[in-house]
Parts: sequence; structure tokens; C-alpha cells
Amino acid sequence: MSAVLQSLVNQPYKHGFVTDIESDVAPKGLNEDIIRLISAKKDEPEWLLSFRLKAYRHWLTMTEPQWQNVHYPKIDFQDISYYSAPKPKKKLASMDEVDPELLRTFEKLGVPMHERAALAGVAVDVIFDSVSVTTTYKQKLAEVGIIFCSISEAVHNHPELIQKYLGSVVPVGDNYFAALNSAVFTDGSFCFIPKGVKCPMDLSTYFRINTEGSGQFERTLIIAEEGASVSYLEGCTAPRFDTNQLHAAVVELIALDDADIKYSTVQNWYAGDENGVGGIFNFVTKRGLAKGKNSRISWTQVETGSAITWKYPSCILRGDNSVGEFYSVAVTNNYQQADTGTKMIHLGKNTRSTIVSKGISAGHSNSSYRGLVRIAPTAEGARNYSQCDSMLIGDQCGAHTFPYIQVNNNSATVEHEASTSKIGEDQLFYFAQRGIGSEEAVSMIINGFCKDVFQQLPMEFAVEATKLLSFKLEGSVG
Amino acid sequence: MNATAQLDYLASLLKCWPIKQTEAQAWLNQLRMQAFDCVGTQKLPTRRDEEWRFTDISSLAPLTYQPSRPECNLQARDLERWYLKEAKHRLVFVDGHYVGHLSTVADPLQLTIGNLPDFVSSHAAILEFQLGRHAAFDRNIFTALNTAFLRDGAVICIPKNTVIAEPIHVLFVATQNEVTSYPRCLLLGEAGSQVTLIEDYVALSQSAYITNSVTEIGLAANAHAKHIRIQRDSPQAFHLASCAVSQAHASHYQSVSISLGSQISRYNLDVKLADEAAECDIDGLTLIADRQLADTHTCIDHAKPNGTSRQQHKCIVDGSAHAVFNGKIVVHPHAQRTNSSQSSRNLLLSKTAQVDTKPQLEIFADDVKCAHGATVGQLDREEIFYLESRGLSEVVARNLLTYAFAAEILSRIPIVSLKRQLEQTVLSRTRSNPS
Repeated sequence: MSAVLQSLVNQPYKHGFVTDIESDVAPKGLNEDIIRLISAKKDEPEWLLSFRLKAYRHWLTMTEPQWQNVHYPKIDFQDISYYSAPKPKKKLASMDEVDPELLRTFEKLGVPMHERAALAGVAVDVIFDSVSVTTTYKQKLAEVGIIFCSISEAVHNHPELIQKYLGSVVPVGDNYFAALNSAVFTDGSFCFIPKGVKCPMDLSTYFRINTEGSGQFERTLIIAEEGASVSYLEGCTAPRFDTNQLHAAVVELIALDDADIKYSTVQNWYAGDENGVGGIFNFVTKRGLAKGKNSRISWTQVETGSAITWKYPSCILRGDNSVGEFYSVAVTNNYQQADTGTKMIHLGKNTRSTIVSKGISAGHSNSSYRGLVRIAPTAEGARNYSQCDSMLIGDQCGAHTFPYIQVNNNSATVEHEASTSKIGEDQLFYFAQRGIGSEEAVSMIINGFCKDVFQQLPMEFAVEATKLLSFKLEGSVG
Repeated sequence: MNATAQLDYLASLLKCWPIKQTEAQAWLNQLRMQAFDCVGTQKLPTRRDEEWRFTDISSLAPLTYQPSRPECNLQARDLERWYLKEAKHRLVFVDGHYVGHLSTVADPLQLTIGNLPDFVSSHAAILEFQLGRHAAFDRNIFTALNTAFLRDGAVICIPKNTVIAEPIHVLFVATQNEVTSYPRCLLLGEAGSQVTLIEDYVALSQSAYITNSVTEIGLAANAHAKHIRIQRDSPQAFHLASCAVSQAHASHYQSVSISLGSQISRYNLDVKLADEAAECDIDGLTLIADRQLADTHTCIDHAKPNGTSRQQHKCIVDGSAHAVFNGKIVVHPHAQRTNSSQSSRNLLLSKTAQVDTKPQLEIFADDVKCAHGATVGQLDREEIFYLESRGLSEVVARNLLTYAFAAEILSRIPIVSLKRQLEQTVLSRTRSNPS
């Protein structure tokens, strides 16, 4: 390590609190030295460092995009610390010490008792032996040959897979935030399902316990080989308070012949207070490559948190007969902003895609659906159906739709439908007649509105998501 | 596009700008001056501009077309084929310049229908207030160019509670080669008036030229206007047009725009429902083949409550043609009880045809009913089979279905002879296309 680096690393952390392992936090700012530092800290091979540097050099040539329908103060990329080793969190001794607000939320969501503790950061081994559970899961997965670990572990244990697939779906220079992520990502998940294996459990179950501590620049890579299938759930219905304001994750999915990947997201990050102060900027690049014949990639997302959500989980349907799906519910309240949607790029023959997007805006929030359906000249017989519905609650919010439809093949059939509605006085009156209060009525109407999407979620999350929604919109009607 | 290429097109045009405008009216000079300054601050749009993402006009940049010359040797018989027997009032502009001896106005003393310079002093008060005020030129370089070169133009003012039963036909004829012309229209409907305007772009030859037109329509309370716009420029032409409509309380605007010609055409239609209870009906048909590109951008702006808008746009695309549709509907905060529907339907007749469509909703009010839909597809095999089972050949069946697809839009044209003319055009286009 050079002398400059050495001094940088050993510089005392001068922003308020002291941390006993100061060398584990990189100084603020972004430059090649920092990237080399991250790479060195993680003991990465040379090719990964050059991958990062390539991304960084590309990022320098790019400008922050301006086309999106969200507004935020300019981000100072030099004011972010790009590396910090997971700090051992102060464990709470019992549930009594947990913030009552958090407990109230758990209560409302109906999170199982033993999980509440884990989520709230109570020393889990007191109540719940997470280590043993994790081990059981790991054993079960290993038996069938599934690799499921953090991306840094995978870099060391399975470099050939990482080298082959990392950046193959989202290239380093894909977009501004993806380039940034490629340069500085610290950790994330890696999942590899070998040929012909059906993953015996929803990876969600496992993930939920491990939910804490995922970083600001997450990187996820999921590969399903021929005939494999997996269902993966990211995030958590429980509210997450995080000090990092900018989150720029990258998720890459690769499905080979006959493989099936189902990726579900429930996002409930801190959305700022009711005046729009604070909250997380969630700028994510998610893309799946349906590379093989008859492969299938399905995205389901429930976006309720973050001050700004800006993401387009996409499918590149390259294999013939491949299928892409996108089911989304985006709820915005107060001063939240969401610009989300999907891209379905049809390249192979007889590829099919379905888009169902439901946007709910309340308070002073704005939600946009922005989608692209592109039928390439090679996509004979491609088929797309899109439906995007918006619901407005209150007259201060906005709902927007920007569907791009680009068709280059006349054998394709593309349909797009959109509608906007509100919860009418007459609907509420109808419920009132039957003795149902307005709060509950709104919750029922919203759940009916979002039913098509919730059906796609793994069972237990569907139940929680339903509750989450009514919880988010509490007090916005009546 | 490189900087020098831009210089060529704009610079050559701007060189021709008559700096010393000797108009009696200071406001008109000032308007042109402002527009000229606006041209200076803008650049030719490229595909990097969201509004021009699918329409590449870089082939326009190197052209050094001069503004057209005010010369006309045409006789009535040259143009007769486009005359409409229903139209009692006809204004003819050749390459953007008014030709008095070809134009007829049934009742010139009573009606304000004619060429702009004839009204500049007599109607100064109203023109100063309206001309160039609806079509904003600060963000559209082509509108700015048109306004900077503003001289002749159709002016139609319909007085209060007056109904003009016969349609007014404004015929823009292109004759010169390698020139740019600047057609201009201003239609003002005072309270309670009714009028039908036919804006018709035709070409006498297959020459290459640029038509850069601007139409402004201002409708006062309860005014009704029907606006039929036919673009049948030469296959070598560039057609860059915009139309801006402002609607007052309970006014009604109906538009049918048919786009058939030009190598590259772009039509911007902006309708502003500026007061309560205004209504608009907008229909469009694009029928293109070969390597044509036709781009339609519409924006319906619901600024006040209780507005109604209905829009249907259809594209029939053959050969290696490329159709673009961008339909934006904006509902402002407090524009409650807006009812808006939009549909974009596209028929691809060949393997290499291409469509980009983007129906766009921006809604800021909650008590609204808004829906939009878009479809892209080819002729239904079952429908073809049905007709074949009744003894029609496949080619006939296809042509019949294509015609039927277009006929829905054509049926909205209230002038029988024009409708027949266009039906023939559609039939001949589909007939020449053995599948």
C-alpha cells in the first residue's frame, strides 16, 4: 500500500463519533485510490479491481441523468464514505429496550414473534438460535448443489462464475448509478442454482433472517442453469431505518434454457417524515436476462418506502419462447416520489411478457409508471400485455404514465391499457352502510386494487404486504 | 450531428432574414424580432432530445434551402383537382405566399377571412393580442423560425354568435424545389361562433422542399371549431408543423388530421382547455409506406375542471416506414371531474415497418376519469379467414380490412367530397400493396 493510502486509511475519523476500528471506514470521497482500497480491503483478485476501475473511469465520463420525473437536491458524491466494514451493532438485551414505534409497526404487520426480535436487532441468540437455523438451511441447499452466499465469498470461492457473469447483464457503463455501483460495490448476494435443480425453499425465508447489514451499494447476482428454478425475496416488510441516504444497488439475473427465476421485492425503507425531510434515495438497476429457450423471469415488487424510488426491473427476452413478467405495486404518501416501471426487450421468437403495475398516490406524493416494450425485428410472434392503473387519494398528489412502445416486427401483438381512478365517496358510503368504517373500507378497496400483484408474492409476504399498505396509507383518507 | 452541419441549415436560413422589416406595425416587427432572437438561442433538435427521440432529422441539417420566392404562375385549372365543392371560401397560398386571384371569399366585406397583411392595420388590436400568443416559440425552434419569417398567413375571425355553415378551405400548394416555406394560419372564434376549417397541404410536383407551418386557434366561450388537416406533401418533402389551440369556457374543438405525404413529417398539436367545461375531440390517421417517417406529438392540457377530451390516433405502416405517436394528457391540480380517453392503434403491414407509440398521462387531480390504451399488431388472421370463407381473395380481404381500419377516422370528416377523395387515396394505397 502506498504511503498516501496508508495515511488516508489511518486518518482519524473526524465526523463526530469515534469508532474503535477506524481503519475500517474509508475517508469520504471517491477516487481511484479509494477503489483500490476497497478492493484491497476485500482481498480481491486483480480482474475484479480492473472491473471496478473500468467502471469508475466510465462513470467519470458520464453525467447524472435528468430525464426522470423525480426531484432531489444534487448528490455530492465526494461526501460519501464508500467503504465501511460492517460494524458490530450494539445488541439490545431484551425486547423491552426496543423503540415502541417499531414494536407498534410489528404488531400492525403481524410479524411472527420470534422474527420481531431478529429484525429489531435484539441479540437473537438469546431468543432464537439463528446460527443453527442458518446452518440447517445452508446444509439443505448445499445438498442439492446450490451456492448461496455473499458476493465477496463467491469472489473467493467461485471466481470462475463471478468472472463469467458479473456485469454480463448490466455492463459497467450501463447507466450513471450502475457504473457507480460497479466501481464501489461492497457486498451483496450471490446465488447459483445448478442444472436441473429446483430450489427446495423460497430463498426469502433464509434471507429474512440475514436481512440486516446489507450495504449501501449492494450487488446481487443470481444464475439459474438449465432447467433450474428459484424464488428469491429481497427486503422486508418491516420498516428499515438506515443512515445512508443514497442507495444504488445492481441486481443481475441470468436464466438459461428452461430456467425460472422469480424475484420478489418488498421495500419499506425510511421515507422521510410527513414534511418530506430525510428519507432514502433508492436508485436501483435491476435486470434479468432470459438467455435460454423457454426461460422465465418474473419480477414482483411492492414499493412502499424510500423518499425516492427510481428503478426499472427489466427483462431481456433473448431465448426463444422466453417469458418476462413484471408485477408492481408502488405506494407513495406525504412527499414521496416514485418513478418506476419496467423494460421488456423482446429479441427471441414467440417471447411473451406481461406487465401489471399499480400505483397509489396519497398526500403530496407523485408516482410515475415508466415502461418500455420493445419488439426487435427478430422477435417473431412476440406478445405483450401491459396494464397500468393508478389510484389517487387526495387532490395534492400526482400520477403519471410514460409507456414507450416500440415495435419493429409486424407479427407482434402489443397491448397497453391504463386507467386512473380514485376512491369515491359513493364507495365509502356503500361500505359505511354495511357498518365498515372508512379506514377499513379504504384498506379493502386498495387490496382489491392490488390483488393481481399480491397474488404473485410468496404467501406469508402477501399477507404482510396487505397489512403494510393499509398501514402506509393510514390517515390519508377521511 | 456536428456543429458545422447545424450551422448550414440555420445559418443559411437566418442569412435570408430581412433585418429591416418595414411594417407599419411596430408590434409585428417586435414579434418577429423576438422570434428571431429565440432561433438564435436554440439548436436543431437531435435524437438526444426526448421530444425528438424517435425522429431523426439530421438529414435536414445539411440542406441549405432558402426561403421560397413570392412568385406564382399557376392558374385555377392547375389546382382544381383539390377544390372542394362545399367550400365557399378558399384561401390559396403558393409556397407560403398568398395568391389573391386564386382565392375566393364569398362575402369579403362582412367576413374577416383573408391574408394577414390585409388586416394588420384594420384589426391591429385583436391581431396584436392573438398572433403568436398561442403557439409559443421559445421552446420550439421551428415555430420560432416560422414566426421570425412571418409575412403572409390565413387570418379567419368569426364574429360573436356567427355560424359559418360552409367550410373554409385553406390550400397550401408547394411548387418550388429546394426551398423552405412558412405557411401560417390564425383562426379566432368569438363567443358562440361556429366554423369549419380545412387546412390542406398539397404538392404540384415531386420536388424536395421544407414546409414549416404554424396554426393558431383561439376559441372564446361556447365557440365551436372543426379543424380538418390534410398533409399530402411530396414524398421528398420535409413537413414540420405545429398547431396550438386555446379553448375558453364550454368551447368545442374537433380535429381530424390525416398524414399521408412527406419523407419526414412532424406534427405537434397542443390543445389547452384553459377554462371550465371545454371539450375536444381529436382524431388522427397516419398512412405511410416506403421509407417515410411520420411523427405526431399531441398534448391535451386540462387546466380547469369539468373538461372532456377524447382522442384516437391510428397508424397504418407499410414498407420500411416508421410511425411515431406521442400523446400526452396533462390534468392540472384542481382540474377535477376531467374526463379523458385516448387510444393509439397501430397496424403494421410489412415485416420492416416500425411503430413507436407513447401514450402518456400526467395527472395531478384525484377526481378524474382518465384512460388510455395502445395496441400494435397486424391484420387478424381470423378476420382474413372469415372474408376468405366468403369468397374474397386474400389480397382483397386484406385491403378491405385495412380500409376499414382507416375508415373509422375518415368517417369523422364532415365534408362529403373531401371524405370521398381521401377514401379513394386510402383505397389506392392499399390496393398497390399485394401482400
